[in-house]
Amino acid sequence: MSARISGISGKVGFNDLKQLPGFWTRKLGKDLYEVFIGPQHPGSGHMRIIIRVDGDVIVEADPDMGYVHRTMEKLGEGREWIKGIPLYERMAIHDACNVTLPYVEAVEKLLGIEPPLRAKYLRVLLCEINRIAAFLYGFGIFGVFVGHSTMYMWPFGDREVWVELADWLTGARLTHSYPIFGGVRRDAPEGFTDSLRKAIRYMRKRLEEYRKIYVDNPVIRARLEDVGVIPRNLAIELGITGPNLRASGVEYDVRYNAPYEVYDELDFEIPVFQEGDSLARVWQRVEEIKQSLHILEQVADWLDKHKGEQIMHDRFWKTAPPLYKKVFQETGRVKLVPVFALLKVPKGKAYARAETARGEISYYVESNGANKPYRVRIVSASARNAIVFKYILPGHRVMDLPTIYGSIDYFPPEGDR
Amino acid sequence: MNWIELIIKIIIWPPLWQLIVLGLIVPLVVVIGILWFERKTAARVQRRFGPLHVSPQLGGALQLIADLMRYAFQEVIIPKTVDKGVFLLAPLTALVLSIVPLVAVPFTSVARWWPIPMDYSVLISLALSTVSAIFIVLASWASNNKFSIIGGMRESYMITAYEIAIIISILSTAAMTLSYNFVDVVNAQEGWKWFAVLNPLAFLAAFIGVLMATSGFPFEIPESENEVVAGPYTEYSGLLYGVNMGAAYIKRFVYSVLITLAFFGGWLPYHPGTGFLSGYLYPSIIVVVKATILMAIFSFLRAVYGRYRLDQALDFAWKILFPLALFGLGLGILEAYLGLI
Repeated sequence: MSARISGISGKVGFNDLKQLPGFWTRKLGKDLYEVFIGPQHPGSGHMRIIIRVDGDVIVEADPDMGYVHRTMEKLGEGREWIKGIPLYERMAIHDACNVTLPYVEAVEKLLGIEPPLRAKYLRVLLCEINRIAAFLYGFGIFGVFVGHSTMYMWPFGDREVWVELADWLTGARLTHSYPIFGGVRRDAPEGFTDSLRKAIRYMRKRLEEYRKIYVDNPVIRARLEDVGVIPRNLAIELGITGPNLRASGVEYDVRYNAPYEVYDELDFEIPVFQEGDSLARVWQRVEEIKQSLHILEQVADWLDKHKGEQIMHDRFWKTAPPLYKKVFQETGRVKLVPVFALLKVPKGKAYARAETARGEISYYVESNGANKPYRVRIVSASARNAIVFKYILPGHRVMDLPTIYGSIDYFPPEGDR
Repeated sequence: MNWIELIIKIIIWPPLWQLIVLGLIVPLVVVIGILWFERKTAARVQRRFGPLHVSPQLGGALQLIADLMRYAFQEVIIPKTVDKGVFLLAPLTALVLSIVPLVAVPFTSVARWWPIPMDYSVLISLALSTVSAIFIVLASWASNNKFSIIGGMRESYMITAYEIAIIISILSTAAMTLSYNFVDVVNAQEGWKWFAVLNPLAFLAAFIGVLMATSGFPFEIPESENEVVAGPYTEYSGLLYGVNMGAAYIKRFVYSVLITLAFFGGWLPYHPGTGFLSGYLYPSIIVVVKATILMAIFSFLRAVYGRYRLDQALDFAWKILFPLALFGLGLGILEAYLGLI
């Protein structure tokens, strides 16, 4: 077997290689070729997929994650409660509102407060803007994975619309830190809803153009159809989540099954596809963007009708200095109330979950009454989806790897935490 | 005869002229233009600006020259594990061999300006055009890198698939004119009877075949970045990588010249005279311009298509492209029999 190890032969002997630090060998089956895709590879994210191929067909795949593990859960135990928000949104910075919202909700449960209604609508607003931006990001990556350079550039350009909107709303393009305990950080600026409606109209038009050049492109269809099929029972068994689960025919969406914020007051549908292949996963995301646009329209209408309402819970707002209140009255903007720096959360345990662009994220928060969390446990969507590579890659060709990888929309920093 | 005349005579000596000027210098200029065009049109489709930073007045046209200089002065890294001799020689050989077919084709109908006798030029140039691909496979094998080897295997699969289609479809023009002489093939297209119109099947097969041969979209499979990094060229860096890329583009240029001669009437409608300018330079320019337009069409497809999977491409090549080329050959023979040519 020694000659076949890693395909290295010639002047460097096998015994030389064995002495290299970190080098270890493993017995390969007959005629199997082991290829390490990643972590520094244009077709992998910050992860490695070890595949063993027989000819051109993958017989074994081993997703090897953890390259961007940042010990977030442990870091969170050493920081004040409010500092957890900018920390945890580093998991998926383009989906920042969605991934931090359950943390905020869980802490609110411990504090026993409920944010004002306008704050809830503003949270939903940013969540859906983030969701669209994250889907477009995924489309771009997927586009370049199947060699379609136009589909790489278009969604990244159109994503700018949503990133700019989020920037206008929150003051930051990506890491917004927008939802805070008891409310949100800022009110929507004057004229925001008009721009939002314009962006919605623009996005609807663009989705049609995506369909023409990409989803219905014969070459792309040939690449995606019947590739990477996740059957319904396998999807449930592996516990995958998000659009990937719904593309396999399972009707499960946290926004619908366990509504949080104001999702139970909004009218939207949960698109479900039965095919479970890569093409269905693309269509799933297209349909979800449409539903998000529909939600955003309703939120914009509601925000227009309820201007000037409170955006932060009284418990925190009444501690604000008079100058803060004056600035808020005039500009709708406000700095963080100082009380958050010293916030002590009552002893207890809380659990909250939300639907991010990549699936369900859940937080388990435990407090021992101090000004820092005792434990924050996060199960992110990507971490749950990663397992799928092991089960659906075998049997496909090597060229299907980027297709499947892209269609799952796996985001390593979110998975590794 | 003084020495200036001697030098000029050597330069315009057809074998040298066609190898160095038409084979190396012209493709370089054409490729700079084509790459700029490719990037600018793709940028326009994708709502970007494209190259802009180098020479903003020219719309970034000199970007490729800047890139070439970077390649030229970059360190050439030769990994420990490669087969050094083959690793170094393979790209250079591929570059030279990809130019060689140009010496076997006529750029004019005047016998004085032919590098070699043209009696069997269709056969010879086609045969020579198939050689360089072997050295790409060799380069990938010598690289001793898994991605290189996978890329090389894909390349070799593609060679078997596209070569036969290109050869049969270009040979169909020989069948139409009952001659293996490219000059006869071109002269038979006198009066705008271009074979691309008379025999669209063969032209289509040749066009798609060349697309596959030169890794154009949607057949950019051997170098597919997201699976095999840079395919056969993964281990190459600096000037050697530039040579590899240059060989690929010269290959595309050579195939474009072959298609121009076979299907687009070569130097027609111009009728070459006897002197150097009217007999050699002008017809060469006409052929090069036609070939450049063809290359621009090849390049534009990248903005529209993704890439096929390897097995789908092979499937397409053997089940559709190969029969298409055969039908083209049949159509050519039929037209020759009916005396339409």
